[in-house]
Amino acid sequence: MLTAILVICALTGGLTILLLIAESVFANYGEVNIDVNKGEKTFKTRGGSSLLRTLSSQKLFLPSGCGGRGSCGTCKCKVLEGGGPLLPTETPYLNDEERKTGIRLSCQLKVKNDIKIEVPEELLSIKEFETVIEKITDYTHDIKGLRFKLAEGETIKFRAGQFANLFSKPYDDVKEETSRAYSISSAPSDNRAIELVVRYVPNGMVTTYVFKHLHEGDRVKLIGPFGDFFLRDTDREIVCIAGGSGLAPIRSIILDMIDRGITNRKATFFFGAVSTRDLYYVEEFKAIEKQHPWFKFIPALSRDDSGHPYARGLITNVVADNYNDMKNIEAYLCGSPGMIDACEKMLTGKGMPKTQIFYDKFS
Amino acid sequence: MKQTPELDLVQAKMQPGVLTLKGFLGNDDRKLADILAADAQSLGNLGITTTAIAGRLQQLADRGTDLMEEEILVENRYRIKVRDDRGKIPSPWGDGLFEKGDVDLFDTVTGHSLKWNRLTLRLLSAHGFCGGLASEYRLDPQRVQEVLSLPPTSDN
Repeated sequence: MLTAILVICALTGGLTILLLIAESVFANYGEVNIDVNKGEKTFKTRGGSSLLRTLSSQKLFLPSGCGGRGSCGTCKCKVLEGGGPLLPTETPYLNDEERKTGIRLSCQLKVKNDIKIEVPEELLSIKEFETVIEKITDYTHDIKGLRFKLAEGETIKFRAGQFANLFSKPYDDVKEETSRAYSISSAPSDNRAIELVVRYVPNGMVTTYVFKHLHEGDRVKLIGPFGDFFLRDTDREIVCIAGGSGLAPIRSIILDMIDRGITNRKATFFFGAVSTRDLYYVEEFKAIEKQHPWFKFIPALSRDDSGHPYARGLITNVVADNYNDMKNIEAYLCGSPGMIDACEKMLTGKGMPKTQIFYDKFS
Repeated sequence: MKQTPELDLVQAKMQPGVLTLKGFLGNDDRKLADILAADAQSLGNLGITTTAIAGRLQQLADRGTDLMEEEILVENRYRIKVRDDRGKIPSPWGDGLFEKGDVDLFDTVTGHSLKWNRLTLRLLSAHGFCGGLASEYRLDPQRVQEVLSLPPTSDN
């Protein structure tokens, strides 16, 4: 019996060693060439890692909601040559059109040979920032403002309205670095720092880190900017509607309009909250309203019977009461998916074409 | 039901700190296959289906949406509050991303509470997963039936 066990152990050990040798010989893909956007960025690297990991090692960051675990389907990228056959782990995340046009899930695709890919141009300007938390401000009972100071000599270039990914460090049961997207609330001109607004999500992995484990002076990794939510270059009047932490990108847009001297567009910012305890930045927006006649700030409370000076009711109703025909107005929305859906319904009902409604659901 | 390698992978993703802070299993240390089998048995005994439960819960959730987290009394019985959060959460089965946000229901008749979201409804309807014992989002078949009083269905 003992001899049989020893023989099995020896065989298993031998097979393991053989497999390890085989992997080092056959899975050694050597040096491979990566070509991004037809020669715009090229580099040589060792093959064998996922495309997502290979690109991030070269500081080219594709958006990823799950950190490359193959469960979110966001790190898509067009592969022009060298991607090999589509893998079963990719197919649930790709539609027919994407499969036909060479779209792949970069966290699943292993780089084994030279590869040519195409990514949106703006991704080439995405950078990783090693920052230090300069200030944490409690805006409301469940919303904090974070100001991150960039490293000496570092600056960030972004469009007002875009977002960045904040990385939490491992804590408690969370064994791996985790990231979530948050809109930038500071102005692009304030390019030595990044400000984010974070609303606590019950049991949220990153918001729990921010609310319970993050302190001023801590080092934090951010990657960005991302997103196509920004002020369109037209002359139209604008309406901004936000709730909760959705105020962040709107603040950035308004501050940017001031910095860029955009005074020819009337802008009204409707901020929806439940009660006075959910309001923040009111004094700042009221001060802007006083200094800039083109800007108007209308906070609205849906459930607060106290003698407050703000509008009353659901934000959709408050906006609707302020306008008749909205066909020549542009809307910028930021908030929960439910709020955005309700606003879109109301705005189109008031004659606003869908093409003039912009939002970022972080979807 | 057999605990397949696929279920092992799903169960690994259900642990605390992997996809969500607290995970999906509560204090349940059974194999996922056993959890699924036990709840399927309970549902069968009650004569209700996961599809029927998910449909009814979605119907109730719809009454509370677009209200900016205002609580609403539905059917003069259920106090419902829908919280919407930005972002999406992946399914441990790898079959999609689901918008974050919870629905809290309090049944004024039985005094029971239920909590669910788009992902847990998907896990219930597509995979028959009601949540681990003592997990915050557990939709225990017996309790759900006491709250919803669903008519028995024949396709169970």
